[in-house]
Amino acid sequence: MNKNYLLFLFFIEIILVAGFHFFYQRVLADTNSAITITVKIAVCGDGVKEGWEDCDKSDFGEASCSSLGFSSGTLTCTAACEYDTFQCVAGPSCGDGSCNGSENCANCSPDCGTCPPAGGGGGGGGGIIMPPAPQTAVIFSGWAYPLSKVSVLKDGQLAITTIAGPDANFNISLAGLSAGNYNFSVYGEDSQVRRSTLFTFPVYITSGVTTNISGIFITPTIAVDKSEVKQGDNIAIFGQSVPNGKITISINSDEEFFEKTTADKNGAYLYNLDTTPLDMGQHLTRSKAILNGEDSSFGRTIGFSVGIKTVIKADEKSLRGDLNNDNRVNLVDFSIAAYWYTRPISADFAVKETENLNGDGKIDLVDFSIMAYYWTG
Amino acid sequence: MFKIQKINIILVACILSFFASPVFATQIYLQADSATIKPGDFLKVSVFINTETEIINAIQGTVVFPDNLLKVEKINEGNSILSFWAEKPNVYEGKEIRFAGIVPGGYQNNEGLLFSVIFQTLSQGNGAAALKDVQVLLNDGKGTAAEFSVSNLNFVVTDKASAISKPEIKDNEPPELFTPEIASTPEMFEGRYFLVFATQDKGSGIDHYEIREGKGPFIFAESPYLLQNQNLDKEIAVKAVDKNGNERIIVLPPQKPLLWYQNYWILGIMMIIGFIIVGIILRKNLWQRFTKLR
Repeated sequence: MNKNYLLFLFFIEIILVAGFHFFYQRVLADTNSAITITVKIAVCGDGVKEGWEDCDKSDFGEASCSSLGFSSGTLTCTAACEYDTFQCVAGPSCGDGSCNGSENCANCSPDCGTCPPAGGGGGGGGGIIMPPAPQTAVIFSGWAYPLSKVSVLKDGQLAITTIAGPDANFNISLAGLSAGNYNFSVYGEDSQVRRSTLFTFPVYITSGVTTNISGIFITPTIAVDKSEVKQGDNIAIFGQSVPNGKITISINSDEEFFEKTTADKNGAYLYNLDTTPLDMGQHLTRSKAILNGEDSSFGRTIGFSVGIKTVIKADEKSLRGDLNNDNRVNLVDFSIAAYWYTRPISADFAVKETENLNGDGKIDLVDFSIMAYYWTG
Repeated sequence: MFKIQKINIILVACILSFFASPVFATQIYLQADSATIKPGDFLKVSVFINTETEIINAIQGTVVFPDNLLKVEKINEGNSILSFWAEKPNVYEGKEIRFAGIVPGGYQNNEGLLFSVIFQTLSQGNGAAALKDVQVLLNDGKGTAAEFSVSNLNFVVTDKASAISKPEIKDNEPPELFTPEIASTPEMFEGRYFLVFATQDKGSGIDHYEIREGKGPFIFAESPYLLQNQNLDKEIAVKAVDKNGNERIIVLPPQKPLLWYQNYWILGIMMIIGFIIVGIILRKNLWQRFTKLR
């Protein structure tokens, strides 16, 4: 066959394919809503990604946070079979104020500062090596839990995360700040994704100065295995802290008393509390850690009751203050609450207000305070 | 004798204790650069909090002032300890400034600045700026009210005062970096996608935000902002502007970018290239046939 004839056929085919998709899309656009809705109602939710679905339950095809342009995180699927990227984490990007990933002074001066010019020169000229321009930065260091995720919030918004070492030590820096007052918070997530309380401290940052904040001792996480325990039975109090840390557990009934245990090499601790001496009723417990003479503060307080029967603790349905059920308490939840501030709340929102806030049927400062306590950024 | 003296001492102590002021851990107070100002000059009043040993995470209140003596020129919440405002400091009816905000994770320190107000004095007279309806809550997860005291500010507007120039805030830094987030919830905007965003400015404070969806113009916006493009297939740019005009623009890429075969531009270009090449081949073939016939 003539070569030109073959080429002619080939490009006609390209035109037809392109034109087919072009006009097919335009036809679809006119009736897209009807077809799409029909397909989704018929197929979405069967766990099989097909047709126009981005995903279906856990079937994402080959898609992931990485394939969608994020650096890490967990891609989820909405009930409408669309990608939900809210738990995807954006990668380092130049200008985000943090010198991390592959960024350096040569390819990202806003985050990493300017590189010193090459010193010396040819011949007898010599050269002057200028010191790098001083950065305005903060370095945080301390102890969390072995290989745990440590997050730093700057004025309530997530600024940077890191992973602690096997010894629970972490060291993280944040650059590109302006001079002024900041409120920094640091918290850890243990191996069971339980979060510590926020370790919060106000800092005044001076321009051109790197401020070191060390000795941050993240409070232990804590949980119990029963929400109600029959008097005389044991209740397990457990969590995670630094490896081999001395854990002090406070049990607060009418009077506070303390028990002690030691975390293992992975930082996990467990104490079986005999409830025989406890009165019937509600009790509170919290823990703190000691390592090499350094104390953490007491962490989150959780409650349990002593009664006539044992009830195994169910998984918590949602985090207090988490109004959009994304397992975080942050600006999105604050904005949702702020939308209802000083206005009558709807019946649908009243359910959330009861489940996640103080349940008084309105949004006021008390609800915002509860949210601020459980804040994760 | 000794026993009578001891009883007297106890009685005096009991009586005195009735008159003693209770000591509150947290103090909210107003502070000014000067308590004596000329008419027409400017008075900067700042609202501070001193929490002593308590950790608080939410504050609200109202600053009232005599509107015959003072007029609000500017409110500056830059460098505030409050990260998020449920009610940003704003003037109501020309005589009071209401505010409400939170500091996630809590705050424990002295001289925590909430915000500053620059007043212009209007006429001579004695006056006071005062705090009312103040509420301070502890960082305990229950919204427990903290005990606190307030300290107001007395001032005198008189011709005999020294001249005070208008306080200027040097601010050449843009607002802080921030990350807007797209969200949806059935209880708001009928489940449609909206954008939330907030940042701080360490100099003059945030003045306003603007948003641009796709290639359109920037428009003024407040958080939460109902997105016009519910397909989320265009980039979204959010601009934070401080009170000195410094800007910070953050761009979110399209959350649901078009696939290649959904992009009309790509399809159109493919068709044009195809037509051109077909045209060249056809022209060549026709010319060859024409020359053969000849």
